[in-house]
Amino acid sequence: MAKKLKGEYFYLTANDLKTGSVVYYSKNNWSSDLTNAVKISRDNLAIYEQIAQNHEKECLIVSPFFVELDEGGEIRKMRDKIREKGITFKLNN
Amino acid sequence: MYKYTEQDKKIVKNRTKEFKFQVERRINGDLTEEEFKPLRLMNGLYLQLHAYMLRVAIPYGELSDIQLNKLAEIADKYDKGYGHFTTRQNIQFNWPKLLDVPDILSELAEVEMHAIQTSGNCIRNVSCDHLAGINSEEVEDPRPWCEIIRKWSTFHPEFSFLPRKFKIAVTGSEKDRAAIKVHDIGLKIVKKLGTIGFEVFVGGGQGRSPYVAKKINDFLEKKDLLNYLEAILSVYNELGRRDNIYKARIKILVNELGQEKIKELVDEKFEELSDKSLELNQNEINNIFNFFKLPIEKKTNSKVPIHSDKEYNHWLQQNVINHKIRGHSIVVISLKPPGKPPGDATSSQMRELSKISKDFSYGEIRVTHEQNLILPHILNSNLYELWSRLKKLGLSTPNFGLITDTICCPGLDYCALATARSIPISQKISNHFKEYSVQEKIGDLKIKISGCINACGHHHVGNIGILGLDKNGEESYQITLGGSATEKASIGQIVGPSFSTENLIPAIERILKTYEENKKKNEDFLSAFNRLGIDKFKEDLYK
Amino acid sequence: MILQRDKVKKNPFQIIQNVDELVEMKKKSILITLDLWEAQKKLITKHKFNLGLEIASDQSLGPIKNDLHYFKLIQFKFITFKDGRPFSLAKKLRRSYNFKNEIRGSGHILPDQYIFLLRCGFDSVEIEEKNLETWLKFLEMDKGIYYQP
Repeated sequence: MAKKLKGEYFYLTANDLKTGSVVYYSKNNWSSDLTNAVKISRDNLAIYEQIAQNHEKECLIVSPFFVELDEGGEIRKMRDKIREKGITFKLNN
Repeated sequence: MYKYTEQDKKIVKNRTKEFKFQVERRINGDLTEEEFKPLRLMNGLYLQLHAYMLRVAIPYGELSDIQLNKLAEIADKYDKGYGHFTTRQNIQFNWPKLLDVPDILSELAEVEMHAIQTSGNCIRNVSCDHLAGINSEEVEDPRPWCEIIRKWSTFHPEFSFLPRKFKIAVTGSEKDRAAIKVHDIGLKIVKKLGTIGFEVFVGGGQGRSPYVAKKINDFLEKKDLLNYLEAILSVYNELGRRDNIYKARIKILVNELGQEKIKELVDEKFEELSDKSLELNQNEINNIFNFFKLPIEKKTNSKVPIHSDKEYNHWLQQNVINHKIRGHSIVVISLKPPGKPPGDATSSQMRELSKISKDFSYGEIRVTHEQNLILPHILNSNLYELWSRLKKLGLSTPNFGLITDTICCPGLDYCALATARSIPISQKISNHFKEYSVQEKIGDLKIKISGCINACGHHHVGNIGILGLDKNGEESYQITLGGSATEKASIGQIVGPSFSTENLIPAIERILKTYEENKKKNEDFLSAFNRLGIDKFKEDLYK
Repeated sequence: MILQRDKVKKNPFQIIQNVDELVEMKKKSILITLDLWEAQKKLITKHKFNLGLEIASDQSLGPIKNDLHYFKLIQFKFITFKDGRPFSLAKKLRRSYNFKNEIRGSGHILPDQYIFLLRCGFDSVEIEEKNLETWLKFLEMDKGIYYQP
């Protein structure tokens, strides 16, 4: 999970197994709200990887990975930005 | 239209129960995600960028008013009020919850629908010519054959864990509207010396290594269809590569072995395995054909209403096709209005269309592989009223076959695999070229847009293909020219270095200018390109 | 644990890894890998064993085409449940080679595949005891209604 990551800080994210919604790891639980997401430093990646694995086994989440943050603490990749903010155009309805 | 038999009902109902059991086992940890994934995919359930996505099968693209109404209900009850029609004539819901999926499947089963084999490494929903049974140049209606193949391929005990996905398309006409040459197996119904049979093409496909399918049989007798398909699948299941997901499709095997060798292997298997019980007898065939009788009986002299409304006349000219029964028309409902995501329909549109199809088209609707809908049997005199009702729904855009009638994958807005967005590109194009007069002047032109190399947006076979790439974190778009998914299928050629989002529309403008300046009278874009060659376009585009 | 349709049964076949075990063994029924068979066919056939042969899902039937009469059991070992080759191989054993003895599935297989396995000519599966109920549930859910002959 932590291989080849760029940058110094990360969020831990996944999808909620039962609903599929995007969730971020935020102090002891998973939340769809980014505001309380734990900012993880590179040194602590292994700890959070273990948490992710445990929660996967407990059938809470699926497809966990680390979101890379840039120097300003913002999400670096476009894919992760869209994943956080939602689709980039207005829906038909 | 096909109606479920007791057998179909039981099989679909049973599958719903089975899937519920699988979801329960996933939730309580009896199944790991690694195990559950192939099982849920075989039932059309993906995990995408934001949520789960459920792909519901629309076998060979044919829907009843009742089914469409149910899809609208599902969109409202379990999703965000819309659905997305796909290039394989299915529909996708983008936001279902895993725990709701068993209930969705139960509701679908009530109207003879399901999500079986709409994904996964198995034989997928069979696709078909959207003008099947209603165009006059057809050798035979391909839909019954699709139904025969659907039955045979559903829960096939031997071919449910193939090296990779497997797609079959069937056409009954010389003119190919089903893109059969970019399918794993393409079947073309032909008549030789008074007898009807199949030409068989194998190993077509897109993705990162696109191939046009090779013909391995000039004439397959009807009775042997299923035995022959079994032979192909059996060769593929044994010899298809499983060591590399990108080399696992049958197209790679066909390309590695060559046309002659694959033909030889299939023929051998056919000899070896042919099973009398799989042979089709004329009675069985007739039984299936009986489901597909035209609802219209008589020719009429029904006339197309005359009105001065310009938009109505554009629509008549562009979206209305002659039906094989005189006095009737086929109406294409474009799901590409300016600025909207291609292929999307809201629940209220679906609900209204369901009523419209009941009022005007014997309750029949079809989905095209180009992500539009079709009302197959419209009495000419109803055309104006129909247009007025479609217009109210925002579904009367007269752009069928024109530059804004793009095929487009969901791209990075929805898809976990995408490298760039594709829907916003399609929106830019449809806004930029929205004037009918502009589009009409450009003429027939197919733009196809994919958000990654997997080519779900069919960019390889677009006259103009657009492929979204990630260039150091920026979206960038590569253009290919000269692709085609018709009977003269060809893979587009890369014109040169890719373009930024801002420069893409100007690049398309420049390509169109080259066409405009060099075309002969009545020469469409593809013919002009084939005559002029890529260098001419390249020179103009990058000078 | 071996499950044959809805019955749990004993497994007399003991797997052996090398020929030395042949001599030591007092067992009557042994299971050997395809590699061992190919290497030691002569030696193995000298003894009077009930022979079982284990073929991995990535191996072919080619080498044993003419040896089938030796085997009381052919066991396909699935490397992963996603590799569907043994379905074709079992069907081929039954249909083209007319193999009448037991065909068994082992390795990474799922209860969800049980009906497909049976329909392709498998008689039995090697499963974990804790999953028995699930395997039986799939058998129970199956109503015998199929599109294929």
